[in-house]
Amino acid sequence: MFITRKHIPRRTFLRGAGVTLALPLLESMVPAFTPQRLSAASPVRRFVGIWHPHGAAPGYWSPLKEGKDFDFSFITKPLEPFRDRTVLITGLDMPEAMATDDEPGGDHARGAVLLSGARPRRNAVSPALGVTIDQTIAKKYGQDTILSSIQLGVEDTGNFGNCNWGYSCAYTNSISWSSPTQPLPTEVNPRVAFERLFGDGTSAEERLAGRQQNASILDAVTRELHILKNDLGAGDRARLDTYLENIRELERRIKIAMGNSVKEPNVDIPFGLPESKHVHFRLMYDLMALAFQGDITRSATFMLGRDLSGTSFPESGFNGGWHGSSHHGDKPENVANYAKMNRYHVQNLAYFCDLLQKTADGDGTLLDHVLIYKGSNMGNSHRHAHEKVPVILVGGIDGTFKGNRHIVFPDNTQRTSNLLLAILHRFGIEQDKIGTSTGPLPAIEPLPIT
Amino acid sequence: MSIGRSTRLWIACVIGTSAVAAIATINGQSAPSRPATAPATPSPGIGAPSAIRRAPAAAAASAARQRALLDQYCVTCHNDRLKTANLSLAQLDPAAAGDHPEVWEKVVRKLRAGVMPPPDIKRPPLAEYEGLRDYLEAAIDRKAAAHVNPGSVVLHRLNRTEYANVIRDLLDLEIDVTTLLPSDDSARGFDNIAGSLTISPTLLEAYTTAAARVARTAVGYWRSPTESTYLAPGDTSQNQHLEGLPFGTRGGMLVRHNFPADGEYKFSIQNFGIGSFIPGEQLELAIDGERAHLFKYQGVGTSQGMSGEGDGSLDVTIPVKAGSRMVGATFVATNYRPSLDTVKQYDRKSLENNSIPQLQYYPAIGFLRIQGPFTPQRPTDSRSIRKVFTCRPSSGPGTKTVQAKAVQEETCAESILATLARRAYRRPATARDREALMTFYEEGRRAGTFEDGIELALRRLLASPQFLVRTEREPANLPMGRAYRISDLELASRLSFFLWSSIPDDALITVASQGRLSNPLVLQQQVRRMLADPRSDALVSNFGAQLLYLRNLKATSPDGVFYPDWDDELRQGFRRETELFFDSIIREDRDVVDLLTADYTFLNERLARHYGVPNIYGAHFRRVTLGPDLDYRRGLLGKGSFLAVTWTQNFRTSPVKRGVWVLENILGTPPPEPPPNVPALEDAAGGSVKSLTLREQMTVHRKNQPCAGCHKLMDPIGFALDNFDADGRWRTRQGGDGGTPIDASVALFDGQPVTGPSGLRQALLRYSPQFVRMVTEKMMTYALGRGVEDSDMPVLRSIVRDAAREHNRFSSIVMGIVKSAPFQMRVKANES
Repeated sequence: MFITRKHIPRRTFLRGAGVTLALPLLESMVPAFTPQRLSAASPVRRFVGIWHPHGAAPGYWSPLKEGKDFDFSFITKPLEPFRDRTVLITGLDMPEAMATDDEPGGDHARGAVLLSGARPRRNAVSPALGVTIDQTIAKKYGQDTILSSIQLGVEDTGNFGNCNWGYSCAYTNSISWSSPTQPLPTEVNPRVAFERLFGDGTSAEERLAGRQQNASILDAVTRELHILKNDLGAGDRARLDTYLENIRELERRIKIAMGNSVKEPNVDIPFGLPESKHVHFRLMYDLMALAFQGDITRSATFMLGRDLSGTSFPESGFNGGWHGSSHHGDKPENVANYAKMNRYHVQNLAYFCDLLQKTADGDGTLLDHVLIYKGSNMGNSHRHAHEKVPVILVGGIDGTFKGNRHIVFPDNTQRTSNLLLAILHRFGIEQDKIGTSTGPLPAIEPLPIT
Repeated sequence: MSIGRSTRLWIACVIGTSAVAAIATINGQSAPSRPATAPATPSPGIGAPSAIRRAPAAAAASAARQRALLDQYCVTCHNDRLKTANLSLAQLDPAAAGDHPEVWEKVVRKLRAGVMPPPDIKRPPLAEYEGLRDYLEAAIDRKAAAHVNPGSVVLHRLNRTEYANVIRDLLDLEIDVTTLLPSDDSARGFDNIAGSLTISPTLLEAYTTAAARVARTAVGYWRSPTESTYLAPGDTSQNQHLEGLPFGTRGGMLVRHNFPADGEYKFSIQNFGIGSFIPGEQLELAIDGERAHLFKYQGVGTSQGMSGEGDGSLDVTIPVKAGSRMVGATFVATNYRPSLDTVKQYDRKSLENNSIPQLQYYPAIGFLRIQGPFTPQRPTDSRSIRKVFTCRPSSGPGTKTVQAKAVQEETCAESILATLARRAYRRPATARDREALMTFYEEGRRAGTFEDGIELALRRLLASPQFLVRTEREPANLPMGRAYRISDLELASRLSFFLWSSIPDDALITVASQGRLSNPLVLQQQVRRMLADPRSDALVSNFGAQLLYLRNLKATSPDGVFYPDWDDELRQGFRRETELFFDSIIREDRDVVDLLTADYTFLNERLARHYGVPNIYGAHFRRVTLGPDLDYRRGLLGKGSFLAVTWTQNFRTSPVKRGVWVLENILGTPPPEPPPNVPALEDAAGGSVKSLTLREQMTVHRKNQPCAGCHKLMDPIGFALDNFDADGRWRTRQGGDGGTPIDASVALFDGQPVTGPSGLRQALLRYSPQFVRMVTEKMMTYALGRGVEDSDMPVLRSIVRDAAREHNRFSSIVMGIVKSAPFQMRVKANES
């Protein structure tokens, strides 16, 4: 693990595994009135949605063989160690991201289709899309965690860069939408992300002290409320009772947090954006692994870049800018170079899978109890094709989702929104439709209980 | 001030034009703090809450005559069998209208706005029409005069806007409250309605976190860096000089930022410049108007913060002293004039045409990010520090011994905290308040410095329910349903949250704690003083902005393909124009009907160009007289803000929405929501609508029975305004130069023939008394923080009548509300 290697011994984490690590007073906390711990028989399910721009190099992504025991392709090769938990899908289209006669252009402005399956409304200031599956899952599984979800990225979400053709930048800035009109901001600063997960303060001690102060303030507030009630009318007294109940709920959260404070990672994460994208990627994967480990959140999204990104990744073995290299002109040497960049991102994913696999969770590992969906809104992005987009799924969800599969659909038959629908079903969320879905994707859809 | 058991509501009802009902304490035992000057007998003076005044007796019309009018003109539809709009007037006795205000207030409202009987249905002569209306009002008011019900407001928590204002006034600290607190729900058009301001764990958590952050920002310091990113709106242009930035600059951003400690801060400015090879471009970073750094660069280049594909950021790290400062990032204007064909930044960018030399554009700033402090130091001075630390322990002699120092610190801390508590709790601090805060001071002092002690106590104060919630005491031994006067201190809070959206200042608390505020003359003086105070800007930025839908402008964005001239600068211009216009009504204490008619507006160069007004240069707004050639711009109906927030589709105007807006906000009679499953325009027209003009399409739509009732009211209003395009520009044709001529001639709901915006404005003036009522009703809603109910209408009418005698001046309405029973009294509510 990137963070631990630098700062603290690994066993520090393991001690905290599987318990709520911290309970800071975060603004975005969900109201958690009725905690409902999932029993060991029904393990916690987690979701990670990973988006990247600019598709994948044609000819280097799809394994040649269909079904079990396929040979990993050049790009997907780094996932070989996790074969039993990996599903690759070839042949899905993303029609919601396509240009139409009425809405031409905008190919680089509709990234948020990935987890919504919905067509973005073409409007610069009042965007409308759909609820993304990470949020639907967060609603079901994040009720008694500190953060119902977290949104991470590595590239600045400049509000109006590249959002062309009259599309709001919201569709390129965030792939996580809590309502059809509410994109959630993507956090790119690892330190800020860390504080969202673990609380304000420069150290674990400072965070603990802050919580103790909050606890004594809330204690005093409780006494104050009792006195205040005396002079009020019946209706207002009832309202203050609600106030009191809410204070008690806060106190409950703080107590849990203080109880666990000692187990918090005392790490020194640099402030600001790392110079190296390589470091940045791995820090963010570390944070997600830590968040799962501490059960701080169960739903995450991660944007590996932005549409039209010009970032280059020297560690990939090729140093071109992302968008420029994706326009490889179908020239063999350019395509081969682009494939190296694609593989690099799968290598980072493998790093994350490794962290998860090494962490025990219930009767298995974190990797057994997660679903990672990595995808893009383009296939061959040189042609801006939104067909045959690369789809990687890793993880056992509840331990029963079978890996070691390369699923192939005939051209023009299936769409990614159907995959989203099937994923929701896999998470026990009964929903008939998402975005423009036409029916749950076979082979992913859970078998009906007979 | 507490109300004794014997306090009674005393109603005087004198028939005639000076009829008045006022409350006063009778039976001798007024509350101890009540000044001797309190009116012992009812008088129409300000301060004696005027409950009801009867209208001049309308033309001595008999109940029988009114009944006959109802039978002839209303009962055809509103009878027991049809019950149109769920209303039957067949059996009710107009003479006893006061027994059924829930029915008759609806009737009165429709008659006031002139929207009933519906178009095409015969109406009585105007005199009889108005006679019926006045008769009904008088009947309701007569009944209400016998039983005053001032209503009750539930406890009122600070909303987001108020929280920010309170922190500003309490700590001299400007905060970006949107990063601290969730947004509030609106009801009845406003977000300060007590019943809608609910409390949840998430909200309390946000308040608790905010308390820690605000206290630290104000008097402590941040030891670890924080990050703030300010984004430019998606459709900014940045072609012109922005108000507030130095002259000779172009575009950019200007933000207020709190620097939480003395230290180094890193500024990152995202610079969008694709397509620009502008020679000698310079970007200036200014803090509080002083140049802090100058970036020089030459067109596109990675070393200058840009790359061929991405837009980089220009970074600089410089030391800044703690405090709230204006940070600007802007381009030093060069003589170079690139093409301005495409104004919007994102349009410029999407062309991706940097290889075409003649298409060169100004670069723009995408965001401004401030990170820090690095190597922080505790600030020794800032506006907040000066405001809070009213004394210093080290300043006096006798601090030689540790013990003496501790005593001195304690004395100083107590004085600081008592001052803060008085302001924050909006009343003199009690011994218990001091004790509670000192406990936390001592805890903080033990762990750190004197300042740390104050910080922790301040944090405690800001988390206090007495700070976050406005409560009003209820006398325990008063019977249920009995009305009573609120205390002077409670009145002070109501007043300051109404006029300032913030806490009372020291002067107001002093007057109130002396029990003098309920004195009518003192109250009037205080209202005048508060209206003259800059804090009354809240009446524009908070009340006015919600009244006139200015907050909706943020989400207004006509499609760039059809409206290429729309950009954020225009949006801000619309907002500013209407704010200044509303402000002028308040500052010059004008007749509120001027909102509909005034022959002036406020323009800057950007807006003047859009309106086609010549010879206006520069970014600042100035008053411009609207001559006969610009008659159509007079009043609210000619303002871009109204015209723009009433678009519905991105690519055309919405006559329906404009009609609804006028019905709701000028006539005070909002139409009901459309019934479910209304067919869309296209379906109702039966197939292709391409060949029909919008007006023809709407005619088809109007034939559809479920829709016709309301559309007959709304559509003509909207079509009279169709010379205004969706972006507020004047037009004579729909669809450009070769398009269909606009036909803005309509017959209004009351049968008046009207042509164009000016004609509509003139026609609506017949209903200007109703407009005054509407403004008063909304202001009363906002002032009380609760919905205005049927039971309030008699009081409302009396306020409006009094204001009419003072030419509907803004202050006369404010004063009328302040002295009314609902504003000064409460009813002891039943257990619920």
